Amino acid sequence: MTRMYHRLPVEAYTSKDWFDEEQRLIFSRTWRFAGLAEDVPEPGHYISVQAGLNNIFIVMGRDRRLRAFHNICRHRGTQLIRAVGKTQKALTCPYHDWTYDLEGNLISVPDEAREFPNGVDKKCFGLKPASVDIWRGMLFVHPDPDPPSLAEWFGAVDPYLGPHKPEELVEYPDSASSYEIRANWKIVVENYIDVYHLSHLHSNTLYMYDHAKAEYGWEGPHYHFWEPPAPDYAEDLENNLPFPRVIPKPHSGAWVPMLFPGIGIGASEESWNLFIITPLAPDLTRIQNRSKLANVSGWEFQKQQWSSWGFWKGFGGPKYEGDDTIDENDPMASGDFTAEDVYACEQQQKSLYSPYLEIGPSAVGESPITNHQQAILDFMKAQEAS
Amino acid sequence: MTAAFFKLTVSDIREEIGGDATSVILTVPEEAYDQFQWQAGQHLPLRFMIDGQEHRRCYTISNPPGENLRITVKRTKGGVVSNYVADRLAVGDIVESQRPHGRFVLEPGPLKRRTHYFFGAGSGITPLYAMINAVLTDEPYSVAYLIYGNKSHKSIIFHEELDALAAEYPERFTVRHILSSPSMWTWFSPWRSGRVDAEAIEAAIDETPPVAQNVQYWICGPGEMNKATRAALLAMDVPDNRIHLESFGGAGAIDTTVKGIAATASITLDRQEHTVQVAADQTVLEAALAAGLRPDYSCQSGVCGSCKARLKKGKVHMRAQMALDDEEIARGEILTCQSVAESDALTIEYP
Repeated sequence: MTRMYHRLPVEAYTSKDWFDEEQRLIFSRTWRFAGLAEDVPEPGHYISVQAGLNNIFIVMGRDRRLRAFHNICRHRGTQLIRAVGKTQKALTCPYHDWTYDLEGNLISVPDEAREFPNGVDKKCFGLKPASVDIWRGMLFVHPDPDPPSLAEWFGAVDPYLGPHKPEELVEYPDSASSYEIRANWKIVVENYIDVYHLSHLHSNTLYMYDHAKAEYGWEGPHYHFWEPPAPDYAEDLENNLPFPRVIPKPHSGAWVPMLFPGIGIGASEESWNLFIITPLAPDLTRIQNRSKLANVSGWEFQKQQWSSWGFWKGFGGPKYEGDDTIDENDPMASGDFTAEDVYACEQQQKSLYSPYLEIGPSAVGESPITNHQQAILDFMKAQEAS
Repeated sequence: MTAAFFKLTVSDIREEIGGDATSVILTVPEEAYDQFQWQAGQHLPLRFMIDGQEHRRCYTISNPPGENLRITVKRTKGGVVSNYVADRLAVGDIVESQRPHGRFVLEPGPLKRRTHYFFGAGSGITPLYAMINAVLTDEPYSVAYLIYGNKSHKSIIFHEELDALAAEYPERFTVRHILSSPSMWTWFSPWRSGRVDAEAIEAAIDETPPVAQNVQYWICGPGEMNKATRAALLAMDVPDNRIHLESFGGAGAIDTTVKGIAATASITLDRQEHTVQVAADQTVLEAALAAGLRPDYSCQSGVCGSCKARLKKGKVHMRAQMALDDEEIARGEILTCQSVAESDALTIEYP
């Protein structure tokens, strides 16, 4: 009998077959996060991103419009460009120097007369177009040249994402990080959207927000979440914020949606953070973090740090102390909520291989988990049918 | 088929830019409501009887669908109809019109997500104004940027209305005024002086680059301005299929170098075949009208496309062909108001 983990079989979290199906039906057929708009700032700049099975690159034309193409030379399929860079007018494949213009047209084939005595009909070998668009300052790519618009994809959930305007904020470069978690990507998503765990795993790290008053729900496959500041924090909120505000008063709280598939945002009064989840293997997932803060002077940051010092000086602490800790690197003693989450995900993944695993009842605050599992089943079914 | 004319009633008249342009609101008879559903950017093929003489003109509908049916007519020096509209047309008068026409249209969509750049000059604002309104009200995820050239601040049609839109939609609409001879005696300072040229276009796109990456470019002004704007956009690698334009308030590319020859034309209209003599200095349309046929026509300048027909045999020269795309020309479609004969036997079919 298939062992179940709520609505999905346990093997959905461990097997290569499931991983391959998700790559094919989910990550290769949805809008994929590709970076921030400022990653392609000027004409001629480009970046590439792996989106499921597709490698897609984005380049800005002289008209400042972004174009997206499949990063595959039409000759022998070599990846045309590397991760990031700049070009003037043309993109040349390193293998045989076939060259394309920024519209994807093949414009030059070296030694054409000698190597291709019958000629090459260049019109037939343009780069295959993909799609790119910008939403809330984020770049998204889609492998289809004519996909549903981002308005169709994110429109319904957009009103729940907070009053933030990420395009007006500045990236805090030290915050950008990338790390791997030894767990299936869905375990990581489920941890992100599990409301029940907030007061427990993070009992000493995230209590400036009032988890009991969280409001959350779904728009299609996208999850949205908001919770207000906890009374202690809210009492003198303007002074307690660790950084200058990024949203106008009197908006307050934390917006922590999980857009499908695996695009997490964590936004509050004073920051806007990305948590991008990319599956690498059935039991390995990459996380990319990027953060944006208010576009104000260092002096404003200094003032806010002083005014909030009183609140934060005694805030937080480890979940386990003393004899309960393993050593000084114990994530449960770190006082860092991310370390706590990574630990929980990896411990859960390990148990998925045990023949004695049996999943217990799902709590009210865990309903997002079963909803996400259902969203995956529904999406794959719809894609398989189309 | 000849399209029917309907009797519309003038229900309001308003002077624009100190009387140099006139906005006219027309009421459609109830039985013609369905025919008068229009798309932003379309025009009305109108027929006026002035001092016993019939005159046909196309005037753009300067409101988006759902609003009052309104045309805005700029006075042209010595223009029979434009001056008649400005000086003599009155509330309660009847104006005859065929149903809205034209394919310089912007179809908004509630889930379309686009960046629209509008480049206009003078009365070329009229279709753009309808389109901008359509985008702002019916395409909520899209943005619109207008670059609008005029002689001086006094000749800016819909100045207040555009400012009001910019105030209402600060994050989705901007307007940039370019004046070719700005007055010193005004508080109004335009975005730039000069013309809507390559430098201005590049500066505008630099200042407000596309947000949504499905970008469309809409151009409406005199022929020269259209040509220059399109050339500037192409020089920036804008793909031609994203550029939409209509010529307005001035000649486009008119090629009168080819003289016609006298010809005999077999013209099929409403499935009836007629033999018509076309004189060397006559257009096919003029010859057909002189022979008593009543094909559709309107602007007589090659812009509106009302007089389109198919050339089955023979050869014509078109002085202007703005209303046709390359595909239609390849299929043998012609604008009869612009066609003079180049072979002595023609076979022409009106649709």
